[in-house]
Amino acid sequence: MEKTVFIKDTDGGTKDRTREFYTEFINQLRERKLEDKIQVVRVADVGVYNQGVVMRLLPDNFLYGQLEMANIPALIDESVVPGKRIDHLTCHHISKQMKIVLRNCGVIDPEDIEDYIAHDGYQALAKVLTEYTPEKVIEEMKASGLRGRGGAGYPTWLKWKFTREVKSDEKYVICNGDEGDPGAYMDRSVLEGDPHTVIEGMVIAAYVVGATQGYFYIRAEYPLAVDRIQKAIAQAYDYGLLGKNILGSSFSLDVDVRLGAGAFVCGEETALLASVEGKRGYPHPRPPYPAVKGLWNHPTVINNVETLANISSIMLKGGKWFSGIGTETSKGTKVFAVTGKVKNSGLVEVPMGTTLREIVFDIGGGVLNDKKIKAVQTGGPSGGVIPEDFHNIPVGYENLQKLGSIMGSGGMIVMDETDCMVDIAKFYLRFCVDESCGKCAPCRIGGTQLLNILEKISEGTAHLDDLKKMRKISFAMQKASLCGLGQTASNPVLSTMSFFEEEYKTHVVDKKCPSRRCSRLFSYSIIQEKCVKCGACYRNCPVNAISGSRESGYKISENACIRCNRCFEVCKFNAIDRG
Amino acid sequence: MKKMTKEELQKLKEGWGKEKKNWIRVGYSSCGIAAGADEVYNTLREEISKRNINIEIKKCGCVGMCYAEPLVEVNVEGAPRVYYGKVDKDIAAKIVERHVSGKMLLNDRIYDVKVNS
Amino acid sequence: MVKAVINGIPIEVEEGVTILDAARKAQINIPTLCKHPDLTSSASCGICVVKLKKNNRMFRACCTPIEEGMEIITHDPEIIEIRRTVVELILSNHPNDCLKCGRNNNCELQKLVADFGIREEHFDKFVRDIPKDSSTGTIVLEASKCIKCGRCVDVCQNMQDVWALSFLERGIHTRISPAGDIKLADSPCVRCGQCSEHCPTGAIFEFDETSKVWEGLMDPEKYCVVQIAPAVRVSIGESFGFQPGVNLTKKTYALLRRLGFKAVFDTSFGADVTIMEEASEFVERFVHKKGTLPLITTCCPAWVDFMEKFHPDMIDHFSSCKSPHEIMGVLSKTYFAREKKIDPEKVFMVSIMPCTAKKYEITRTDEMFASGYQDIDVVLTTRELARMVKQAGLDFAQLPEEEPDHVLGDYTGGGVIFGATGGVMEAALRTAYYLVTEKQFPKVEFENVRGLKGVKETSIKIDDTKVNIAIAHGLSNVEYVLNKIREAKKNNQPMPYHFIEVMACPGGCVGGGGQPYGVTDAIRTLRSKGLYAHDDAMKLRCSHDNPFVQKLYNEFLGKPLGKRSHELLHTDYKARPVYRK
Repeated sequence: MEKTVFIKDTDGGTKDRTREFYTEFINQLRERKLEDKIQVVRVADVGVYNQGVVMRLLPDNFLYGQLEMANIPALIDESVVPGKRIDHLTCHHISKQMKIVLRNCGVIDPEDIEDYIAHDGYQALAKVLTEYTPEKVIEEMKASGLRGRGGAGYPTWLKWKFTREVKSDEKYVICNGDEGDPGAYMDRSVLEGDPHTVIEGMVIAAYVVGATQGYFYIRAEYPLAVDRIQKAIAQAYDYGLLGKNILGSSFSLDVDVRLGAGAFVCGEETALLASVEGKRGYPHPRPPYPAVKGLWNHPTVINNVETLANISSIMLKGGKWFSGIGTETSKGTKVFAVTGKVKNSGLVEVPMGTTLREIVFDIGGGVLNDKKIKAVQTGGPSGGVIPEDFHNIPVGYENLQKLGSIMGSGGMIVMDETDCMVDIAKFYLRFCVDESCGKCAPCRIGGTQLLNILEKISEGTAHLDDLKKMRKISFAMQKASLCGLGQTASNPVLSTMSFFEEEYKTHVVDKKCPSRRCSRLFSYSIIQEKCVKCGACYRNCPVNAISGSRESGYKISENACIRCNRCFEVCKFNAIDRG
Repeated sequence: MKKMTKEELQKLKEGWGKEKKNWIRVGYSSCGIAAGADEVYNTLREEISKRNINIEIKKCGCVGMCYAEPLVEVNVEGAPRVYYGKVDKDIAAKIVERHVSGKMLLNDRIYDVKVNS
Repeated sequence: MVKAVINGIPIEVEEGVTILDAARKAQINIPTLCKHPDLTSSASCGICVVKLKKNNRMFRACCTPIEEGMEIITHDPEIIEIRRTVVELILSNHPNDCLKCGRNNNCELQKLVADFGIREEHFDKFVRDIPKDSSTGTIVLEASKCIKCGRCVDVCQNMQDVWALSFLERGIHTRISPAGDIKLADSPCVRCGQCSEHCPTGAIFEFDETSKVWEGLMDPEKYCVVQIAPAVRVSIGESFGFQPGVNLTKKTYALLRRLGFKAVFDTSFGADVTIMEEASEFVERFVHKKGTLPLITTCCPAWVDFMEKFHPDMIDHFSSCKSPHEIMGVLSKTYFAREKKIDPEKVFMVSIMPCTAKKYEITRTDEMFASGYQDIDVVLTTRELARMVKQAGLDFAQLPEEEPDHVLGDYTGGGVIFGATGGVMEAALRTAYYLVTEKQFPKVEFENVRGLKGVKETSIKIDDTKVNIAIAHGLSNVEYVLNKIREAKKNNQPMPYHFIEVMACPGGCVGGGGQPYGVTDAIRTLRSKGLYAHDDAMKLRCSHDNPFVQKLYNEFLGKPLGKRSHELLHTDYKARPVYRK
């Protein structure tokens, strides 16, 4: 075949015209006796959305959109055959993603160090060890503007500088792979798909601060990531890229792996240090900061997986290159785990400054089942919801903070009209209450009380002054909690209350849940006028809450009903009401 | 493996040369494995060996299109480089038969097309 | 020095001082709950939050060092509102049991709730019903009252190195318990009571046995006698408005008689007897080379338990001498009963101790029944005695001064300084010197063994021989001393010490687990000073000079380490499992 034509109706839905267009295209090719020269392929995804019928031509790489059947002859005769572009049909599309952190994921075999080396692996390390002093590296990192990708956004160069300046015989570098945010798995994918880039970043960091020992702290729930990192470390030792006199230089570093044990709080710096030391994962007051007194009271740098994965690219291509990507205050790219009610859920890496709308619609393909978007949640349990009005805001550390959320580690959950904001707040708060270490009273008890009130709201037993109580508790938690978990646990509550206050009031005053999520606030019943007594609901109810017969008709018992929604799904006559 | 110096590192990189002409990559991170990449990988291996085709099959990490796992990227001379998604063992067999052997792409399975930019 | 501004008032303090301590220079006592001067800040309660003026950032005053140029606000309506909310939250997790709680009127949480004027409970109550653990019979753990301040865990793990208490579970389910959720009696607990001494609420409390004593006093068949420990006399007054360290010995005798005791003795007499036995033991081992050196004191039952569990390889070094109050117990039911012609079975002997471990000691082995009956019937802590006084309505401050019953009541300076760390050693050396040289020590005060340093190493000269001494108090300081012994043994070197004194409680018995609440180093020092001043003022400073002790030996015991002494006044030790079952 000389050329290939890819076709997809990107509007999709029930009126999918892909097959129609495809069949006609092939017919017209047959008429011209070109069917053996040009292959036509229907694709599942063409990378463009809401542009009607889209066609891509290879190897010319023309992209056409909003096509009609009538366009086909012109497409074949004026574009495909002669290899010329038809401008007025062209669909202008540039991929919004830019892969720096994920550059090797899906390209190299993560268990083969030579594959990594073949793709510029360890070149940055070689360059640094032979041409750069630690101070020069810090300067380059400063020029890059890289900020911690774990969520706090602290300038990486500054953290390294502080740790470097403390005098000590023993220093440590720790890679924080605890990644506890629900729905976030960027770090896991990097550790599984390109472990060497993180190792390389760690060695460079260790060289800068003067560390002699590095640790990977990975949560035990990531066995594959642990396995791949361990294999990668062993290979790196074998090839002289870890251990004594790396690449023949005078710099040596030992690296080992430590596992987490099921505590979200151990992603917090001081709790992580306690955990590595074998103690109970309790956070400790700062100061002293880990840079001064960290692991076993020695200066320690703790960097997130994604932060370290950026280092080798920065050192190879230069800080200036990196700072040319992104916004004024948020440089480089960020990996987001886009999940929830989105068509294309997965990992995306975009330059900072990309808008939420672009991420959800241009890359994510839009909302699942084409429902209306309600909000996007960022930052995991420490973050907040961002309603549609603000989806044009460029993504960045400060911008998201101004909206009452945070960038966090990169979790991004898309929500539609069937997501209840009270329920969302409850979900995140329940997570924080479960994961609270219990050391400080504001988080331990405040979180529980806050959750208690949210549960009352979703059960219809709350009063308006409970909303005031929630604000009071949230404020105390923000100011008096010992660590970031407690300080930010109330963010989802405050954020949803601020943007969706009416929804809260409906729950409290009207005792109704508009999204039909809070099961105590709505009930299922059969609309007798529409019911044809087929018995489908009766047969499918998992808890036998529906009684009756084909003769007398059916009735749903409100007490027995568990609101699973099965009857609604199986009824072909729209006779189930969810009032 | 002997411990390397900077020069040896450079040599190793260059030794790998340019990218090969024919290869298949199978997504093998947690997302892929959970979706069934193991079976897909094994089927591909079997089919390739049955037909005595000389092509490298590599396990790689998650490319980000987790919603479409198991993902198989195919690059065969004479056909465009594409990602097949939601692959099962039947589709895997078809990929070998039609795309790898016959240079004909499969319908309705392609999730991304790699353009040489 | 660091210059900063607190509430607009400029202050200057040394580097490293916390905001909490620095604020005192500006006449501010920032409210705290989980902080205790003995311990590093756990920073858990969140009440001591203060604000940085320039950006309104808030952090804890107890653990944040003050920095040059800092401008702090310690209280404004916002800060107070946050503190109040935190107290309300803690209250919502705490049972409303004040009226029936042992810390009623003496509880740090109660004080905060009162100070913040909390009149209504806005939050739902979340109190977990955790069963009480009274398994040790000395300390009671009521985990449902626990506010998770972490003091007891810090004390038990770091200060005492026993590791009986730890945190279990997490989040709102966090609770204090021995590891493995076992009963305290099955754990390494040595019953030193330091946990109860540091607990801000009624979550850990001494096992109250005052009702047993009232019963004994009311029983017409019983002949009730009582003894008070050295440390009690300088601390009992604190519950009645006196300063720590004020010597109220003679008022206490009067009070005990008015409670109904037929004879009032003093444990310091027993201490003198202990010195006779133990100093003789030391001379046996040191001069006559019979037995192992160093000799280690054993009057502290928590230390004995600790040694039997964690360092049984040291058993040979232990003095076989019983503790002073046990000696008093056995003497009361033999020597005293004989003297007064009382049926020993009717004698009901009560010890008033600064110590919770003594409650366990009295049934420790069969040897605690050497008189043929249980030598000590009940041990009450200083705190329990204070409660009995109040129940009886006695006006302690107004009581007259009385004498003890002279049979077992008179003591020397050496006996009374047992209550301070280093006191046992000092008393023993005074007599050991005499036993070896037959001369009195020219200067009986040994400053080198006094004071709050964790491990005190010094030496004295008896004639031309140097005696090396070590004193440790607080069980975490013991390992250093014992390891030096082990090291010497391993390398076949001479022993680094000849005589060692160990007290489980920091400060010695004056800081005991049964003493009035609120102990700090300052209070330990005041109480010890009271004892040393008492010793200073006494005519007889050395145990061997006690005429009543001499009478006891002449008429009853024979000689120190003699047959009768061994039957009645000595015990032995065995290795015990750290965890039972």
